[in-house]
Amino acid sequence: MDNLKEDLKKQIIEQLNLEEVTPADIADDTLLFNDEGLGLDSIDALELIVLLEKYHGIQVTKPEEGKEAFKSINTMAEFIRNRKG
Amino acid sequence: MGVRITGIGIVSAIGLSVEENLLALKESRSGIGPLTVLDVGRDLLAGQVKLCDEELGRELNIGPAGISRTSLLGLKAAREAWGSSMHSKSIRTGIISSTSVGGMDRSEVFYKEYLSQKHPDYAVLKTHDSGSTTERIAAELGISGYIDTLSTACSSGANAIMLGTRLLLQNKLDRVLVGGSDALTKFTIDGFRSLMIYDDEWCRPFDESRSGLNLGEGAAFLLLENEKSVQLSGNATLGYVSGWANAADAYHQTASSPEGTGATMAIRNAIAKSEISPDRISYVNAHGTGTKNNDLSESVALKNVFGDKIPAFSSTKAFTGHTLAAAGAIEAVFSVLSIQHNLIYPNLNYKNAIAETGLEPVTSLQTENSVHAVLSNSFGFGGNNSSLVFTDQI
Amino acid sequence: MFYISASSTISHQPAFQNAGFSGVIEPLLADSVLITPDYKGYIDAGLLRRMSKILRMSVACSKDCLNQAGIDQPDAIVVGTGLGCLQDTEKFLTNSITIEGLLPPTSFIQSTHNTMAGQISLSIGNHGYNMTHTQNTLSFENALQDAMLLLMEGQQHVLVGAADEYIEFLTQVSENLAAFDGQYLTSGASFFVISNQKTDTSAAAIKDCRSVGLVDDTEAEIISFLAENELNAADIDLILYAGYSKSNFEIFLKLGIDKSKCVDYLAYSGLYPSASAFALHIAADRIQHDKSVGNILIYNALVPHHLGLTLVQPVEA
Repeated sequence: MDNLKEDLKKQIIEQLNLEEVTPADIADDTLLFNDEGLGLDSIDALELIVLLEKYHGIQVTKPEEGKEAFKSINTMAEFIRNRKG
Repeated sequence: MGVRITGIGIVSAIGLSVEENLLALKESRSGIGPLTVLDVGRDLLAGQVKLCDEELGRELNIGPAGISRTSLLGLKAAREAWGSSMHSKSIRTGIISSTSVGGMDRSEVFYKEYLSQKHPDYAVLKTHDSGSTTERIAAELGISGYIDTLSTACSSGANAIMLGTRLLLQNKLDRVLVGGSDALTKFTIDGFRSLMIYDDEWCRPFDESRSGLNLGEGAAFLLLENEKSVQLSGNATLGYVSGWANAADAYHQTASSPEGTGATMAIRNAIAKSEISPDRISYVNAHGTGTKNNDLSESVALKNVFGDKIPAFSSTKAFTGHTLAAAGAIEAVFSVLSIQHNLIYPNLNYKNAIAETGLEPVTSLQTENSVHAVLSNSFGFGGNNSSLVFTDQI
Repeated sequence: MFYISASSTISHQPAFQNAGFSGVIEPLLADSVLITPDYKGYIDAGLLRRMSKILRMSVACSKDCLNQAGIDQPDAIVVGTGLGCLQDTEKFLTNSITIEGLLPPTSFIQSTHNTMAGQISLSIGNHGYNMTHTQNTLSFENALQDAMLLLMEGQQHVLVGAADEYIEFLTQVSENLAAFDGQYLTSGASFFVISNQKTDTSAAAIKDCRSVGLVDDTEAEIISFLAENELNAADIDLILYAGYSKSNFEIFLKLGIDKSKCVDYLAYSGLYPSASAFALHIAADRIQHDKSVGNILIYNALVPHHLGLTLVQPVEA
């Protein structure tokens, strides 16, 4: 099990107050911003930027930067690992 | 159909009176500069009113204690618009102001002390609620009766003008002061920064490179009077509120729809109400905040309504900063001045058209053409879209 | 006449989806709690997860009203609130003061006063006139007058209501300012559909509404309000009043209104700035279920320098 990915799922659920979602409901490749996935929106994208800073010490200064990174848990984990080098 | 405007008053980053604002507009002089009145932990640009609370208090002959900056700014503008108007039992007078955060400028100082357990003065909170900012202005001007405050985020000021107009036309009032006031606060600055739409550089409305707004502060009021009231006051008519509309975008909590749905409805309905044809609009004072989303959505709406015959348009936010609830009122005063002096204001800081729409705003002051009708847009959070039409006659 | 086609309240009283409640409710007790309906039945889960108390209450009441009135879309949405979205305001204010880095934006977005009206329009996809009035204890009366103007201007159905939410901080404020002694500070939302014509669901009619800020002579205002509606004080069957000063009774006494006709609605609603909206719901429910009641006057002097007057009557046959 990839700990970073599991942590991300828990953090997303908390940050976005996804009351009825459990980490098990989110697959690593679930599309976060797709209605068939988690159906997140642009406000959530900003909350995810806060999450990256709060839990992972990564600063994103332009919302556009997050677009690719926030596609799925996989892309988020990759983004964090790349940024941390 | 429409109502007379017989008084205007304004205080903004470009001046403390109508005269000072007009001069700055004519000289294309922005009032936006480094933020100094508040400590927000970093350097930022904002449109500050160039008087501190003590100075405002002295000018208004009022102690700065127990009154919010929002009320002080509002009172300054309201007194100018009110002018030498007299009270009379036969003239039903009301006031409708608007504000987004009311006395938050005081409350946030209180709350910081509260959190650090420094025995704060709870009495400060009496100036917190938005309604109290209007009540204070009303009390100072001796207005009682219909006192109201609208709070619809960035469209509030326009909505106050709309409601006042409707109350006069329905013969509920004879005379009404309408406008809005908002002071700069850490709360709102942090808020727009959390949305990542506060530009660290000068805001660039309608420019391809735009990346957000600069906040500003200020207040403006208009005095609206019916026939009966004018007969008694003898006030000259400066222009008319001739068209108005509010429509909900119902798209997203903060973002405007890419099709400009609500904005298109507001503009279209306001022009329809004014009973003039769209090609009679001489100038559009756009909402134009400088955010990616607003300016694109507003451009689409302008194209929806005017097709390829878009009137001269500009945003004056690069002069004043975005003054939130006051913006609609401040820009209404600019619209009246546009008609009175045949001026079309430049959209400062513009270089290149937005790729998707290609619209080019006016970039230098125009004085040659006569201005008969001005459309003013104000769009807010929650998809709250308002448009007003001001004309030289009805 | 403006017809009340639907009414819905979420408060500390069992008024939600409980027609006839006005005949059975008791004054609040210290341990009364806010009614919590199953919000999932009214609000999309994606929207619900972000919503504070006041937003949930407002949207659920609005949807309940539209169901009752049998209309998909009102022509306009008008909301009154005295203090707005306090829960989110306090949350963002605290973050703004205590967090150094990036701040979560959601509570800022939802701190603006027009979040209720905006969320209602978003929930039902409504593109009509959308307004929010905030004038302390007169917020609801001002919203109601705006709605009445809209009906005069030709609109058919307007969704109008008011909401305020309690947060714990208010208790500290009231203790420190030594205000509101003996009152229970509560949350409440009451919404209505008011229509320009009588419908199958019309429960009562609003004859008139007036708000007087910085009122000079309360008694004279009441007399002129009644006179404009061709009534004398003796014609009033019930006064629902707010305001805990003795002067209210002196005024009623002077007007010749018997004490037995006067009911303190704050004892039922608890204290919040826009509680007069709950009084309107009580009035509509009472008139619908008790044919002996004719004219009801809602007398809102919750703060003495502001006066709200609303006249409610039966739907004429």
